Amino acid sequence: MRANTNLFWILTVFMVLAATAYTVWSLIWYDGQLEWVGTVAISLTAVLSAFLAFYLSRVHKAQGAELPEDRLDANIDDGDPEIGFYSPWSWWPIILAGGGALLMLGLAVGFWICFLAGALVLVAVVGWTYEYYRGYFAR
Amino acid sequence: MVQRPNTVAVGTIVWLGSEVMFFAGLFAIYFTLRSTNPGAWAEQAGVLNVPFAAVNTIILVISSFWCQFAVWAAERGQVKRTSWAPKDWGLTEWLFLTYAFGAVFVSGQVLEYATLVSEGITIDGNAYGSAFYLTTGFHALHVTGGLIAMLLMLGRVFAVKNFGHKEATSIIVVSYYWHFVDVVWIGLFFVIYVLK
Repeated sequence: MRANTNLFWILTVFMVLAATAYTVWSLIWYDGQLEWVGTVAISLTAVLSAFLAFYLSRVHKAQGAELPEDRLDANIDDGDPEIGFYSPWSWWPIILAGGGALLMLGLAVGFWICFLAGALVLVAVVGWTYEYYRGYFAR
Repeated sequence: MVQRPNTVAVGTIVWLGSEVMFFAGLFAIYFTLRSTNPGAWAEQAGVLNVPFAAVNTIILVISSFWCQFAVWAAERGQVKRTSWAPKDWGLTEWLFLTYAFGAVFVSGQVLEYATLVSEGITIDGNAYGSAFYLTTGFHALHVTGGLIAMLLMLGRVFAVKNFGHKEATSIIVVSYYWHFVDVVWIGLFFVIYVLK
C-alpha cells in the first residue's frame, strides 16, 4: 500500500513539473500566449494523481496494519478474508448496456428511439439496484 | 486486526479520478474557446446573473453538508429519526434534505438557462454559448445523476430488512460523488462567473 501511495505521489510531482514546463514552453513558443488545452489537462492530471495518493494514504492509515499481500512473511490463506458482496450472475448489466446502446442509436438515427431507450435504462437501473432487495433472496 | 480497504469505496474514488479528467476536458474546451474568441466573452459574459448563481452555489455547498450528516447517520446505523430535532435525525431525513437542496440547485439552473436563452445566449449561437452550456450542462447532468442515485439509495433503505454494512457503503460512495460534483461546481463557478 505504501508503494501504491508513493507511486501516485511520484506521478503528482512529475505532472506538476510537466505542467510547469509545458506552460513555460507554450508561452515562449506562442509569444506570450498560453496554450490552454495542455496546461489545464496536465495540471488536472497532477490533481488526479494527488487525489488518489492522498486517498490511498488515508486508507492505509485507517487499516491499522499492513495487509497480508504487503508482508513478506504472510501466508496465502492470510489474504483470504471476506472481500465483499459479488453477484454470482445477473442479467441487469447487459440490459443496461443494451439500453445505453439504444440511446446512442436514437441520437444517431432518430430521436424517438431515445424515449424507448430511456425507459429501458430506467428499468435496468432500478432492476440492478434492487436485484438483491426483493424476492426470495432479499436482504 | 487489519481493516481491509473497502473495495467499493476505493473503486468509487478511482472512478471519480477519471471524472476529474472528464471535467479537465471541459475546462480545456472553455479556456481554448475563450482565448480564441475574446470578443464573444466581452460581449456575452456580462449578461450572467452572478448574484443568482452565487445563491445557487451556496445552496449546493450546503447540500454537501447535509449529505455528510446523512453519512454520519449511516455510520451510526441510524435509518430513521427518533424525534424532529435535527440531532436525532436518521439518514433518511438528511438524505431527503440533501435531495431537496440539490433539486433546488438544478431547478435554479433550468431557470437561469431559460433566462439566458431569452437574452440571446444559445448553445449554437457562438463560442461563448457553446462553452457555457457544455460545461454547466454536463455538470447539471452529473447533479441530476446524483439526485437519481440518492432516490435509489432511499428506496433501498426502505426496502432492506436489516440496514447493514453494504447499504451504509452505498450511501457513503454516493456522498463521495456528491462532494465531488460540489467541488467541480465551485471550480466552474469561479471560472465562469467570477473570472469570466
